[in-house]
Amino acid sequence: MHELSIAESLLEVALENCSNQGFNRVGSIKVLIGKASGVMPDALLFGFNAVKEGTTADQAILEIEEVPVSGHCNICGKDFTTEDVYVLNCPHCAGVSFTIKTGRELMITEMEVF
Amino acid sequence: MKLKLADKILTANERIAEGNRKFFDERGIFVINLISSPGAGKTTLLETTIKALGSEVKLGVIEGDIMGTDDAERIDRLGVPVVQINTGGACHLDAGMISDVLGELPLDTTRLLFIENVGNLVCPAEFKLGEDVKVAILSLTEGHDKPLKYPIIFQESKALLISKVDLKPFLDVDVEKIKRDARSLNPSIEIFEISSKTGEGIGQWVQWIKTLIS
Repeated sequence: MHELSIAESLLEVALENCSNQGFNRVGSIKVLIGKASGVMPDALLFGFNAVKEGTTADQAILEIEEVPVSGHCNICGKDFTTEDVYVLNCPHCAGVSFTIKTGRELMITEMEVF
Repeated sequence: MKLKLADKILTANERIAEGNRKFFDERGIFVINLISSPGAGKTTLLETTIKALGSEVKLGVIEGDIMGTDDAERIDRLGVPVVQINTGGACHLDAGMISDVLGELPLDTTRLLFIENVGNLVCPAEFKLGEDVKVAILSLTEGHDKPLKYPIIFQESKALLISKVDLKPFLDVDVEKIKRDARSLNPSIEIFEISSKTGEGIGQWVQWIKTLIS
């Protein structure tokens, strides 16, 4: 999914937050990547390590936490979590009307700075 | 020192797309992003749609291709304002490319803008342009397994046009499976079976557009 441009944006957000808070270097960045976000963690890591060169995050470690897909079925009323990326029916009742609650995240949750 | 954040990774493309969205909203322009594999019939559908709408709606078209101006020339021959973007290699249009050409169309008087994306069933689904809706076209000759193979575009689209239905007698394609699978990915997707060649389904498609922009 064009992880390089996502890595660039991720780096930009990190550097901005780092300097806005008055710090000089980024030690680590924690991100949440939903399993249905379309982003491949390996590719994101590769891209990040490439774009961080020459910046104040050039020693930064990217920690990726994958978020599974979960949702709520509008037919049987139960919540569900799944290993699947694309949900076609509710795992409980096979219903086709459901709301996806997690799994599409692409966010930074924490940074270590100094 | 640990900084707790909850920042979405909003890419540069999404930021520019939001800028485009604002531009269109300020002028009351409805924007449709047309996405399909190469050869599914996007340009022909546009020609058919333009002829069906006549002068009822003020139209504009942005054409996207890796190279060439064929598509823009076809639209131009119908008297509709059009601009051709050549990506030179990129497999999809992005918001920046759209933003760069906005000055080349008479958008102050445009009501409906079609953006014909680069022929590609994968990447265009992932790059917002600032459009109101995405519309996907899948031609019968592509086979009935495509929705499940390319789920993102079908999840993202407001409508699916199954094109070239005049070829149904010559193909072993299960149209009901296409519709079933598309709806399983996106229960509210509108589906139209069309043939630009015979005109089948075009009336319903055009009526749906008119409802969208009314």
